[in-house]
Amino acid sequence: MAVSSTQVQFDSLFGLFTYLAVAVGIVVFSLLIYFIVKYREKPSSQQPDDTPILGKMPISRGHARSVVLTLSLSTLIIVPLIVGSFGAIDNILTPPQHVCQGCAIEVTAHQFYFQFTYDNGTKPYQTRDILRVPVGENIRLNVTSADVFHDFGIIGYNIKTDAIPGRTNTIWFYPQTTGNFTIQCFEFCGVGHYTMKGTLMVMSQAAYFSWYNSTVVH
Amino acid sequence: MRRVNTNYLYLLIFAALIGETDIEVNLSSIIPAYNEYVTVLLGIAGTKAILIAMFYQHLRYEPKSLSTWVIIGLVIASLLMGLSFVQLHVGH
Amino acid sequence: MASAKRWLYTTNHKDIGILYIITSLFLFAAAGVLAITMRTQLSVPSNTILTANVYNQFVTVHGLLMIFWVLSPLAFGFANFIIPLQIGCRDLAFPRLNSMSYWFFLFSGVMMILSFFFGAAPDLGWTLYSPQSAAQFSPTIGFNVGAGALILMVVSITMSSINFLVTMFKMRAPGLKLRYMSAFPWAILVTIFMMLYAFPSFLAAVVLLYVDRAFGTVYFSSIQGGALLWDNVFWFFGHPEVYIVLFPAIGIIADIVPTFARRPLYGSKYVIGALVAAAMISFVVWGHHMFVTGIGLVSTKLYTVTTIAVSLPFDIIVISLIETLGFAKLRLKAPALFALGAVANFIVGGITGVFLASVALDYALRGTYFVVAHFHYIMVGASIIGLIGGLYYWFPKITGRMYDEKIAKVHFVLSMIGFQVLYFPMFLLLDMPRRIVTYSPQTDWGLLNLTATLGGFIFGGAQLLLFYNLYRSSRVGPPSGPNPWEAWTLEWALPSPPPPHDFDVIPTFSTDGTIHFGAGPGLPNGSNTPSGIGYPNGSSVGHGSTLRHSEGFSPWPILMAFAAFIFFLGLTIGKPANPQPVSYQPFWPLIADGIILGVISLFGYSREKFTVHEDAHVESWPFKQVPNMKLGIWTFLGAEVIFFGVLIGSYFFVRTNDAAWPPAGTLFDIRNGFAMTLVLLTSSLTAIMALASARAGNRSGVIASLGGTLVLGAAFLYIKAGEWFSLGSSNVFQNYSLPATSYFITTGTHGVHVFAGMCMTVYLLANAIKGKYINGDHTTLEHFGLYWHFVDIVWVFLFPLFYLI
Repeated sequence: MAVSSTQVQFDSLFGLFTYLAVAVGIVVFSLLIYFIVKYREKPSSQQPDDTPILGKMPISRGHARSVVLTLSLSTLIIVPLIVGSFGAIDNILTPPQHVCQGCAIEVTAHQFYFQFTYDNGTKPYQTRDILRVPVGENIRLNVTSADVFHDFGIIGYNIKTDAIPGRTNTIWFYPQTTGNFTIQCFEFCGVGHYTMKGTLMVMSQAAYFSWYNSTVVH
Repeated sequence: MRRVNTNYLYLLIFAALIGETDIEVNLSSIIPAYNEYVTVLLGIAGTKAILIAMFYQHLRYEPKSLSTWVIIGLVIASLLMGLSFVQLHVGH
Repeated sequence: MASAKRWLYTTNHKDIGILYIITSLFLFAAAGVLAITMRTQLSVPSNTILTANVYNQFVTVHGLLMIFWVLSPLAFGFANFIIPLQIGCRDLAFPRLNSMSYWFFLFSGVMMILSFFFGAAPDLGWTLYSPQSAAQFSPTIGFNVGAGALILMVVSITMSSINFLVTMFKMRAPGLKLRYMSAFPWAILVTIFMMLYAFPSFLAAVVLLYVDRAFGTVYFSSIQGGALLWDNVFWFFGHPEVYIVLFPAIGIIADIVPTFARRPLYGSKYVIGALVAAAMISFVVWGHHMFVTGIGLVSTKLYTVTTIAVSLPFDIIVISLIETLGFAKLRLKAPALFALGAVANFIVGGITGVFLASVALDYALRGTYFVVAHFHYIMVGASIIGLIGGLYYWFPKITGRMYDEKIAKVHFVLSMIGFQVLYFPMFLLLDMPRRIVTYSPQTDWGLLNLTATLGGFIFGGAQLLLFYNLYRSSRVGPPSGPNPWEAWTLEWALPSPPPPHDFDVIPTFSTDGTIHFGAGPGLPNGSNTPSGIGYPNGSSVGHGSTLRHSEGFSPWPILMAFAAFIFFLGLTIGKPANPQPVSYQPFWPLIADGIILGVISLFGYSREKFTVHEDAHVESWPFKQVPNMKLGIWTFLGAEVIFFGVLIGSYFFVRTNDAAWPPAGTLFDIRNGFAMTLVLLTSSLTAIMALASARAGNRSGVIASLGGTLVLGAAFLYIKAGEWFSLGSSNVFQNYSLPATSYFITTGTHGVHVFAGMCMTVYLLANAIKGKYINGDHTTLEHFGLYWHFVDIVWVFLFPLFYLI
C-alpha cells in the first residue's frame, strides 16, 4: 500500500538491494556449504599433495583469474546499486521549489519533543508533538534543533533527517493516504530520548486547510 | 657519509628560516588578495617545515623509507581536512 | 619464583599475551552481562526493569568495553604471544614498553568501570555525540572519568602500535621477507598501521571534549563546531577502528582454514593485497556515518561510492577462503568450525553493510536496529567468533594441553544458533530506533524483541561452556604436544608451551622455501642464560636488587601506569567549581601523587640496565640502516602528525564554518608570535649544534648548546605565559569564544610538548655535564633532536595560522 512518495521510493530501492543481496547470499552460501560438505575429511579422502608442513613454506596457490572474475562480478552487481542510489538521493535532496501555502513547515527539535511552526501570514503558528499535513500535496520540512543533536524520523515513511543546532536540513514528501504515523527521534539525545515522539497527522485537504485557515492571525 | 662543513650548513638553513619568517610577517602588504595571501603564506611555512625535516632531522640523509613513513602520516591527516572542507562548502 | 612478582613485573611477550587474553575475557563477560540485562529490559514493551538513566549508561559502557577493552586486547593478546614466534624472534622490540602497554590498558579499564561511581558513567552511546556531550547537557563527573579512561587506553594502544611496527619490520628471521609471512602477521601489521594513524584522531577528539567540559572552551558546544565537528573527528577515527577490531580475526581465520583444510591459502597474495586496500579505503569512507547530517549531494555521493567500493576487497577475501577448501581434506575441529562460522556470519554482515552504504537507503535506516544488526554480525559474528576460533586453535600452544573437543562442538552449535536468533530479527526491526530503553505496545516490535532476547540468553549461556572448557582443560586436559594441528607456521615448531626464550636457535628461511630449525646461520641462545632457563632480556635494578637478573623483570612499567592512572583520576574527578560555565576543580592530591610517582618511575626506567637481545642477522626491509629506537621515534612522530593534524583541522573546520572571525592582529600581537618563532627556531639550531658537538667530542659545546636550548625553550614558554595571562584576564573568552578556544587549545597542547621537551633537556644537560654523549653515544641526543625539531615544525605552522591570517 503506497503511503508516501518516500516510502514508495525506499521500497523499490530496498527491494533492488534485497533481491541482489539474496541472490549473492544464496550463491556464496551454497558455495561455502558445498565445499565444506564435499571436501570434509572422510576415510576415502586423498591427502592433497600441497599440504603445508612444518619446515616448508606453503606453495603459492591461486590464479589471478579468480580475482578478476570476483572483482568483475562484484562490480557488475554494485553498479546498479550505485546508480539506483544516485537517482534516489537526487530525488531526496531536491525538494520542490514551490509548495502550497501551509505546506512548508519548520520543525524544531528540543529535549525531548518536536515543535512545528506553520507559516501563517503575519504570525507563525506553533504546535508541538502533532504535525498536521494535507494528503496529496508536496510537503517541505525545514528541520533544526534548539539544543542538542536530534534526528527527526517518520515511521512508515522511511524518511528522516538530522536536527542539528545552527543548521537547517530540508526533507520533503508527498503523502498518499490519510492517517496517523509515529514521529520519533532517531539520535541519542539524552535521558528522555525514548519519549521523544510525535504524530504525523495526514488529513484530507478540506480538513487540513480549514484547520490551517482557522489558525491564521489577521 | 662524512659531511663536510655541516655546522656551516646548519647556520645557512637557520638564516633561511629566519629570512622566510621575516617574509611571512610582511607578506600581507605584498599580497593583498586574501586567498592568494593565505596560500603563499602556508606554502612558505611548508618550505620551512621541509627544511627543518630534511636538514635538522636529517631526513635527506636517511633511507627513503623513513621519509615515506612521514609522508603517509601527512597524507592521512590532510584527508580529514580536505574531505571535511568538501562537506562544508561543496555541493550544497 | 614468586608468582605475583612474575606477573606484575614481566616483560615477556608470552606472559603479556596471557595477561591481555585473560583480562579481555573477563571484561567480555562483564560487558556481556550488561548486554543480557539490556536485552531482558527490551524483551517486552513498556518494561520497567531498568530506568532510562541506567539503561543509557549500560548501552554506552557495553559498547565502549566491547570495542576498546575486549575485541582489540583479545586480538593483541594473541598477537603478543604468537607474532614473535611466527616471525622468528624472541620478543618485541621494546619489552618494557610492551609491559607498560598492558598496565595502561588494565588501569584504563579500571577507570572506565570507576566512572559508574562518580554520578554516572558516560551515557550517550559509545559515540558520545555533541553537543549533548557538553558539560551543560551532561554535567556528571563520571563522564569526565570515562574520558580520562579513554585517553589512557589510547596511550596504551599507541605504545603497542610503535612496538609491533618496529618489531615486525626490524626483527624478522633471516630470509623471512614480508611477503612470506602468513595471513595472521599480515593482518596484524595492517591493523597496526590503521591503529597508528586512526587513534591519534580519537585522542584529539577526547582531549578536546575533556577541555571543553573542564575549562569552558566551546569546540563542541558552538554552532560552528558542535555536532559536525565531533562527527567528523570521531568517525575519521571510528571507521578505521571498526576494521581494526575486525582484521585480526580475519587473519586468524585465514591461518586456521588452510591448516584444517590441509591446503595452502588460495590466492594468499591477493588476500593480503585486499587487506591493504581495505585498510587504505577505510580512511575515506567515514562520511557514511554522517549521511543525513546535510553534507550535500557531492559528499553523500562520494561516500556512497567509496563505502560500496570497500566491499570489493572483502569479496576477494571471502572467495579466497572458500576456494581454499577446494580439493581439501577439511578436518572440522572447533577452530575450523568457528573460523567457517565466522565467514558465514561475515557474508551476512558484509552484504547488509552495502545496504547501509547507500545514502538513499540510509535516509530510512539510519539510527535503527538494522544498523545494530549489521555491526553485530561483523563485530560479534565475524570478529568474536573468529577470535574464539583462535582461542581454541592456540590454546594447546599456550597451555600445553588440549581442550575438550565435544564440549567445544556444543559451544559452537549453541553459539551459532543463539547468534542468529539474537541478531537476525533486528534486521526486521528497521523502524525501531536505537538506544531506547523501552517502546510502546502500539508498535509491533514486541515479538521480534522477545525472540532476540531468547537468542541472547542462548548465545550468552553458550559462552559459559567456553569458560568451563578452557578452565578445566588448562588444569586436567591431555598434553597436546608441539603441533596437534600439523600446521606449518613457526609457533608449532616449539614445545607447548614454549620455553621462556622461545627458539634455541632462530630459524632461517631459504629462497627455495625450506625453513631451517637449528642448522644454518642460527644464533646462540639468550644473552647470558643457559639454554632452557631464563629469559632473553636482562634487567638489573641498581645494586642489591632481589629480582633475578636474567628474567627481564622490571617494576617501572606498572608503576608508570599506576602513576598515570592516579594522575588522570585526579584530573577528572574534581568537583565542579562554578555551575555556569561548568568547570572542574582538579583533585590536587591525586594529581600531585601521580606526578611524583611518574617522575620516580621515569627516573627508575631510564636508570635501569635493561638489555634487549638484538640478533644481527635479521630481515629488516625497508629499514635496514635505521636502528630500532630511531624507527620507534619516527613512528611516534607519525602518530603526532595525525594528532596535531586533527587539532589544526578542528581549528580549520570551525574557522571556515564561521563568517565572522576577527582579522589578523586583532586578538593576538603579531610581535609576540614573531618573537616566539625566532626563539623556537634558534632553539632548533642549538639542538642540532648540540648533536654536532657531541659527534665532534666537544664537551663544552654540548653543554653550551643544550643550555642554550633550555634557555630558549624557557623563553618561549615565558612569552607564551605572558600572552595567555593577558588574554585570560581580558574579555576574549566572552567576545571571541571560538577563536579563543582554538587558540588556547592548540597552542596549549603545543606548549605542553615544549615543556616535555624542556624536561628532557634538563635530563640531557645533567648527563652532558657528567661527560656523556661525546664518546660515540650521542644517539639519545639525536632522538631528542628528532622530537624537538618536530615540535618546532608544528609551531612553524601555528604561527601563521593563528597570528597572520
